[in-house]
Amino acid sequence: MKLNIDGLLVYFPYDYIYPEQYSYMLELKRTLDAKGHGVLEMPSGTGKTISLLSLIVAYQRAFPLDVTKLIYCSRTVPEIEKVVEELRKLMEFYAKQTGESNNFLALALSSRKNLCIHPEVSSLRFGKEVDGKCHSLTASYIRAQRHVNPNQPVCRFYEEFDAVGRQVPLPAGIYNLDDLKDFGRRKGWCPYYMARYALLHANIVVYSYHYLLDPKIADLVSKELAKKSVVVFDEAHNIDNVCIDSMSVNITRRTLDRCQSNVDTLQNTIQNIKETDAAKLREEYRRLVEGLKEANVARETDVYLANPVLPDEILKEAVPGTIRTAEHFVGFLRRFLEYLKSRLRVQHVVQESAPQFLKDIFDKVCIDRKPLRFCAERLQSLLRTLEIADIADFSAVTLISNFATLVSTYSQGFTIIIEPFEDRTPTIANPVLHFSCMDPSIAIKPVFQRFQSVVITSGTLSPLDIYPRILDFRPVTMASFTMTLARTCLCPLIVGRGNDQVALSSKFETREDFAVIRNYGNLLLEMSAIVPDGIVAFFTSYVYMENIVASWYEQGILENIQRNKLIFIETPDAAETSMALEKYQEACENGRGAILLSVARGKVSEGIDFVHHFGRAVIMFGVPYVYTQSRILKARLEYLRDQFQIRENDFLTFDAMRHAAQCVGRAIRGKTDYGLMIFADKRYARADKRGKLPRWIQEHISDGSLNLTVDETVQLSKHFLRQMAQPFRQEDQLGLSLLTLEQLESEEMLQKISQIAHQT
Amino acid sequence: MDEEPERAKRWEGGYERTWEVLKEDESGSLKATVEEILYQSKRKRVIESHGQVRLGMMRHLFVVIDCSRSMEDQDLKPNRLTSTLKLPVCDIMHIQCKVICFVSPSGNPKKHIAALKKAVDTVCVGEPSLYNSLNLAIQTLKHMPGHTSREILIILSSLTTCDPANIYEMTKVNIMYMLLTFLICSTDNLSCSLNVRVSIIGLSAEVRVCTVLTRETGGSYHVILDESHFKELLTLHVKPPPTSSSSECSLIRMGQYRLENCDFTLVGLSLGGYFCPQCHSNYTELPVECKVCGLTLVSAPHLARSFHHLFPLEAFIESPVEELQGNGFCQACQGELKDKSIFTCPSCRSVFCVECDLFIHDSLHCCPCCIHSQTAS
Repeated sequence: MKLNIDGLLVYFPYDYIYPEQYSYMLELKRTLDAKGHGVLEMPSGTGKTISLLSLIVAYQRAFPLDVTKLIYCSRTVPEIEKVVEELRKLMEFYAKQTGESNNFLALALSSRKNLCIHPEVSSLRFGKEVDGKCHSLTASYIRAQRHVNPNQPVCRFYEEFDAVGRQVPLPAGIYNLDDLKDFGRRKGWCPYYMARYALLHANIVVYSYHYLLDPKIADLVSKELAKKSVVVFDEAHNIDNVCIDSMSVNITRRTLDRCQSNVDTLQNTIQNIKETDAAKLREEYRRLVEGLKEANVARETDVYLANPVLPDEILKEAVPGTIRTAEHFVGFLRRFLEYLKSRLRVQHVVQESAPQFLKDIFDKVCIDRKPLRFCAERLQSLLRTLEIADIADFSAVTLISNFATLVSTYSQGFTIIIEPFEDRTPTIANPVLHFSCMDPSIAIKPVFQRFQSVVITSGTLSPLDIYPRILDFRPVTMASFTMTLARTCLCPLIVGRGNDQVALSSKFETREDFAVIRNYGNLLLEMSAIVPDGIVAFFTSYVYMENIVASWYEQGILENIQRNKLIFIETPDAAETSMALEKYQEACENGRGAILLSVARGKVSEGIDFVHHFGRAVIMFGVPYVYTQSRILKARLEYLRDQFQIRENDFLTFDAMRHAAQCVGRAIRGKTDYGLMIFADKRYARADKRGKLPRWIQEHISDGSLNLTVDETVQLSKHFLRQMAQPFRQEDQLGLSLLTLEQLESEEMLQKISQIAHQT
Repeated sequence: MDEEPERAKRWEGGYERTWEVLKEDESGSLKATVEEILYQSKRKRVIESHGQVRLGMMRHLFVVIDCSRSMEDQDLKPNRLTSTLKLPVCDIMHIQCKVICFVSPSGNPKKHIAALKKAVDTVCVGEPSLYNSLNLAIQTLKHMPGHTSREILIILSSLTTCDPANIYEMTKVNIMYMLLTFLICSTDNLSCSLNVRVSIIGLSAEVRVCTVLTRETGGSYHVILDESHFKELLTLHVKPPPTSSSSECSLIRMGQYRLENCDFTLVGLSLGGYFCPQCHSNYTELPVECKVCGLTLVSAPHLARSFHHLFPLEAFIESPVEELQGNGFCQACQGELKDKSIFTCPSCRSVFCVECDLFIHDSLHCCPCCIHSQTAS
């Protein structure tokens, strides 16, 4: 259907539209018009992706000079593929409606592992291996060597691409990963490099967060993307953690040992080169004296995305003399390494700020701040000069040099914590140096600065105002959309008491309480008797789950539950978990029914959807607070309080509630789906917790369902499940939660739609 | 109705939220009530049934009643089992059918009722197996002649099924079966190939495997809301389903019995007996297949009951109440027409309310006003 969104003609590839989709597009259009950033929350299963795509594509067609590119960032490969499929549908609709094939180029990009078509390289199992092997076949000096020595193995796909691929642009069309591979095979070109090259002139790019947020990758892949792009972060409720992870460094003893051997290798290589080709090193020296001027020029002319690891100031300077020659630099690295080793020999926990660390390093081993800052750049240059083929082996030393640069560049926003052992195993010495980023805005800042519009969207972003604060940007639109429903297909219930009136809570004091555990068991037992097919139960942590399940076993509750349903448990092991998931789905499919016990923040809670019968009920045992005793977290909380005026408790609650919302949101993946959401903790009833749930869940929590006993919950659930089992057809939705074009254009409906978006 | 005293004992009831029922009357809210949807589907049922379709009048319906642990649940009073058995299950059995394990195949409702009465005292333990019950049912049904429908109705209370094998594998077994028995059907599903239609009434909630099973076999799947809805769903199954094109047609010779009073009978102590018109064998109960000459013996009411399924009453025309001319009273119950729509009989133009419309279509099967005018003229 063709829509008129605030004066913009939008082609929408379906015959029906949800009212919230229309509202979402309106807000999105406003964001694009203002050339600003936006935060939009819309429940999952209401067609967020297609709304985003249709509007932005329409915008691109209407104002080709204002918006040149859409960069769509998603989390996982299956999600990326889904986006591309939606896009394909949209483009087919365009072709059918306008009768002309438009010259849109859209492509997905993923790692080499997913794109490689080289028969040997692609058979490797791990991403790192593939990267390393690829590099060893395609590095420039390897290829240069081939001119001398024709036996040198190279990748023929890359050679072919390099020879002809760059002259001819990729023909317009929609390419998912398989399409790229097919195209690559037909032409004999490397799909990975082809895609990376095509990024520059593609209209739509779909790839993972890391290509923009992780400075190391972003520097390679995304730095030349046009400024007039719209960036969309989908499923962005965890974006601050992604930012932080991409800037944090953890150093263990193993890292240092591997680093040591790396440095030794470097030393030897330098020796060899010196004997054979001293001119090369001299050339490098000359370049370093020249400084990083080129990079600076490029950044000033606005060609590149800024790199947070390579701060602006150092671009204006030349590499300091102390580390200019290769030997000196290696000696420098050695000293730095020894220093780190000595730091790891601590017996007690040390926490210090970056300036403290720098002062200490200066006192102990006379390493100045300035050379440290250049460490990362200098190492890259050295590796290039030494023509080291397999970069993967040098990950340890790269990590250390990145650390050196970061620690000397940022005096704020980072903290250094050295722990001699893990909290759980105080007897086993396992020293770790956490260099932890506390400020997610550092990593994402270049993105906000460079691109015209950045849209952060997800099913669960509540409370909306906290994201702009922790990511440090000013959005022009912030809106939360509700789900319009023809029948109330979600039923959030807060269970506060057991049948014996014992307050249910996972809080620390009552964690070991037998009565609470028994009542939790009772709840699960009773639910397992009345909920059909699948139930997913989430615990706050693995430890907590183990405790509870063990004590259920002793009390015989587990046995009783097993009469009703099979029980599967998520473990930290990925293979075990995927096995459990598979069996769980099988049990749901063939009518036996199953319960999956899993952990909030685990793999299951984030990426796996439990549509329809796979998740008729989600039970959240306790409030999933993050482990508050962790020093890294404490440091981060302190930082948030000092810098952003966010109170510790606010942040902890926010973090717990977004994970709880993620967990319970697994059950509802669309308007025809239905599911119970059971919050089994007294504390959910409090306004400060409840108020932080997404609006589309909140509005279904009535006052009557705030502090239920297990019995009441069972009665309500029974009633709900029977009602939902009544036949439900598309016609029932029409006009209420599903609209045709005429219905959409009616005055009354537009009025209603304007109430869907909740501005903050 | 004996429901009344039961309803009065509120303390026996479960935890109910009576105030929420009131909330659903609110207009203008987005929430369409489930009742509204239900009402629509009720109407639909009346309207739908009036296509020109061939109905399978000879039915072999296998009723499977779940007797597992969950039947002890007390959400239907006094418990699910008793409540189920009290319901007019025998209504469905007006044609040849059988209750699993209880009775031998016979068309006689008395036997079914007796069997059901006995079953009330059954202790419900263990878990049900859809696979086993289907297997058992199919074992029997496959021998039924091709012109009759083969149906299984399962009243399932449990939410799980404990099967000796994967229920979907049953399809494979059945395909083999189909090949062996030359049952003609193009679908690759087993139960389909045998033309067995499996319908399920769930007592607790929607279970995936039932949805799939009924969809694949062309049956229906319903979940009850309460006792009255349960009854309604059961009555749905009284109506013979349209036959699939693949089933054979055949003429069945049926004998009208002759009722004769005799002073003594060979069978039992009853005063009357039915004599087969062909061989004059004596039977005390109908319908039955004559043991001597193989003729199917039926009584007039049996045939009459089938008649209204074949030639149903036409659906009444629904129109908003504003369009009503004349006085605003229902022709049948003489009550005032208060609902938002009224129903008009297409032949005699009489006006009825919703309740009467349903009553006429569900129970009377003829328009009272039409009959009246016929007899008058």
